[in-house]
Amino acid sequence: MPFTRHGPDWWNPVTQMPPAPPLLELTGIAKRYGGVRALKRGTLVISAPGVVHGLIGENGSGKSTILGIMSGQVRPDEGSIRLNGEAMQFVKPLDAIGHGIAMVSQETALAPDLSVAENILLGHRAERGPGGIDWPATRRKAAEVLARLDLDIDPEQLAGTLSPDRQQMIEIARAISMDARILILDEPTSSLTDDQVRVLFKTIAVLKAQGVSVVFVSHRLAEMFEIVDELTVLRDGETAASGPMSEFDVQRIVDEMVGRAGAWEEVGVPERRARVSHNAAPVLEVSELNVEGIVRDASLTVAPGEIVGVAGLVGSGRRELLEALFGARSVSSGELALQGKPYTPSNPRSAIARGMGYLPPDRKLRGLVLGRSIRDNLTMSVTAFLPRLRSHSRAQTEDVVQRVMSGMRVRAESPEVAVGTLSGGNQQKVALGKWLAAGSTVLLLDEPTRGVDVAAKAEIHSLLREAAESNAALLVSSSENEELIALCDRILVMFRGAIIASVPSADASEALLSRYTGGHLSE
Amino acid sequence: MSNVLGHAWASTRRFRPALALVIALFIVFAATQSTFLGPRNLQNLLTAVAVLWIVSMGMTFVTIVGGIDLSAGATVAFIGIFIGKMVNYTPIPSWVVIILAILIGIAVGCFINGALIGKLGMSFFVVTLATMTALTGTVNLWSNNTTEVITDRAISWIGVERVFGMPTPIWIMIVIFLLALFVQNRTYFGRDLYAVGGSIAAAKLSGIRVERTVMAAYAIVGGCAGLASVIAVGRIGAASPQVEVDLPLQAAAAVLLGGTALAGGSGGVGGTAVGVLFIGLLQNGLSISGVQSYWQQVVTGVILVAAVLGERVTGGRVRKGRLFGELAKQRKAGL
Repeated sequence: MPFTRHGPDWWNPVTQMPPAPPLLELTGIAKRYGGVRALKRGTLVISAPGVVHGLIGENGSGKSTILGIMSGQVRPDEGSIRLNGEAMQFVKPLDAIGHGIAMVSQETALAPDLSVAENILLGHRAERGPGGIDWPATRRKAAEVLARLDLDIDPEQLAGTLSPDRQQMIEIARAISMDARILILDEPTSSLTDDQVRVLFKTIAVLKAQGVSVVFVSHRLAEMFEIVDELTVLRDGETAASGPMSEFDVQRIVDEMVGRAGAWEEVGVPERRARVSHNAAPVLEVSELNVEGIVRDASLTVAPGEIVGVAGLVGSGRRELLEALFGARSVSSGELALQGKPYTPSNPRSAIARGMGYLPPDRKLRGLVLGRSIRDNLTMSVTAFLPRLRSHSRAQTEDVVQRVMSGMRVRAESPEVAVGTLSGGNQQKVALGKWLAAGSTVLLLDEPTRGVDVAAKAEIHSLLREAAESNAALLVSSSENEELIALCDRILVMFRGAIIASVPSADASEALLSRYTGGHLSE
Repeated sequence: MSNVLGHAWASTRRFRPALALVIALFIVFAATQSTFLGPRNLQNLLTAVAVLWIVSMGMTFVTIVGGIDLSAGATVAFIGIFIGKMVNYTPIPSWVVIILAILIGIAVGCFINGALIGKLGMSFFVVTLATMTALTGTVNLWSNNTTEVITDRAISWIGVERVFGMPTPIWIMIVIFLLALFVQNRTYFGRDLYAVGGSIAAAKLSGIRVERTVMAAYAIVGGCAGLASVIAVGRIGAASPQVEVDLPLQAAAAVLLGGTALAGGSGGVGGTAVGVLFIGLLQNGLSISGVQSYWQQVVTGVILVAAVLGERVTGGRVRKGRLFGELAKQRKAGL
């Protein structure tokens, strides 16, 4: 019955005009990797040019897969891709780029020893004669693109000398130079400071005004509400909800991501820690700690059962302070005491022997050995102190592995599976569980919830509180001030290597902390 | 018990293609060559790869921590000359010379290669290439480019005599293999190798003594080279000044064929044993079939690429992701 498709007034000249098809339409997308169904029924519709389309979902919900399919890096098993109503098949990234879809991934991929201009025009160089590069044209084109993005970057500079946020801008510029109409930004803000996020948002606004649509992926809900026009929520490989941002509020997004109503109450609102008085003698005392060129005269104390936060912009010395305390970075001067006895951090091994534990901000590189089992990773810092040629058996570590895995609620088939196969949140729990297994009394945690989803984040927070209740001393560094306020008793603010303020978290607000971390102590 | 067997079977995952090839080759040669299955030929097959076998066991440990020892061949030749000089020109008893040979191998591995790579963090390629070059020169200088004939009883006992009806080198191969298997799977040192190979930073931050682990791995390959040198000298009855430049590369081929990744952090000596057997079977089978033995090298090269590729294609999701990630990055950089 072909007629019914058009409805009763198909002949009406006004309604006969079909509505403009959406800019990009992915429907019924399915993809499996071996036995794992990464996507079951993924749908994502970008309605028009010049919109910012948010994509959100927990780790493992299929975000990366759908982005890969959109940008031609992954071939879907099922489903259709339509660009302006026309069916498309992308076999390789160049196909997608040819149709104006470009992706900027989480890791920057620039050639550090080439100039900004060359990086922008990489792959479609301005040429003169056979094989020669037309340098003036290269510089001119690069300068044009940078001007279009309203960026003040010297095209002659080497890309490797730029800060991470500016490197990201170069990648965006590269995509734009290839006439991208749809720009995919995969967690662009995850490693940026607040100020840098502002610059990125300004650039997105410029692109939007020029009719470029942006797919924006982030775990941070506040950012979504700030710049996103329409949203797609993925859960377990399916599109759980989609629509204009005006239809969403925080509660609904979290409920859709987690898949049950009321989930927001459980995970969304971090309960404030009950104030505990810390009259006990501090476990960790640091006075006038200096790290060559980075940390200046840092003094602090942490008592047992206390959670002390460290706030500060990227580059303020937070990371280096924690590394120095753990002996992973050399200290130029300073007096330290652990449990009342003098402590000289010389290497991580001696720090661990004194009861310290350190969670690095980059779990995939430094926190875990991804190819090894959960068991090996959890017990590594315990077994590191046993005689090397002693024979080992699973039975020896069974108790501690079971205790930590159930205590940390690590979701995995067995302790024997490789850590690399777990979701981000579970990986982070294993990285943290290592120190629970080692029975550390002082925990130094750098970005403990980076790159984990809302639910896992809430779980990690409650695990950290449990650790504090069992009398561990925690020093938590985070770029999310909101997290510090919710989690800590007291927040130290670092600015250019020095601790410039100590704020009880009851008195702290995000506004106050962002002012302090910018170095403005007075109004 | 069935659990143990199940675990053992699961651990063969990485070298099952190589294992299947070895079995297939064995069946083909056994069916086509009447002399192949004779005990004499099978013993020849194994003793011919004794030196490669022992060096490859040590090489596996180095590969797991993310390196390769290019100097193993030069170390074997250097220690060979040492044995020749000591046995022929000094009154030192030959059993002491044998122990010294192994200790010198350990020292070269530990204090030259291991210290420069592990302690100073230099590239394994640069360091072991330099050691190889310097040792090759030393061998030529010290030996005056002449072969040293050795007729010592203890050394020929190790190289050619039989114990309980089987050549001594085969017994040594079995003992070294079991020892390596034990160290790899049953000691904390063995687990350290995997942790360090997987992520040096994560291992260090967990309190593992990374420098020592790397030094120990190179010490082991050095010690293996020392032992291999005793067998080589015993088998030929002479110390040759000819450095087998090929040896470390063949060992690396056997290690990679056996499923140990060049990037480190995975694999093991079980696979390496299969890799060496593959090379030995091809060598032996082709030569008794009257085919030029150089074909063995051609085939090994082709199979090595095929095996590593095949492992990637059939491999688990994680590694597939990594392959994809690398490709994506390359594509991205070149667009």
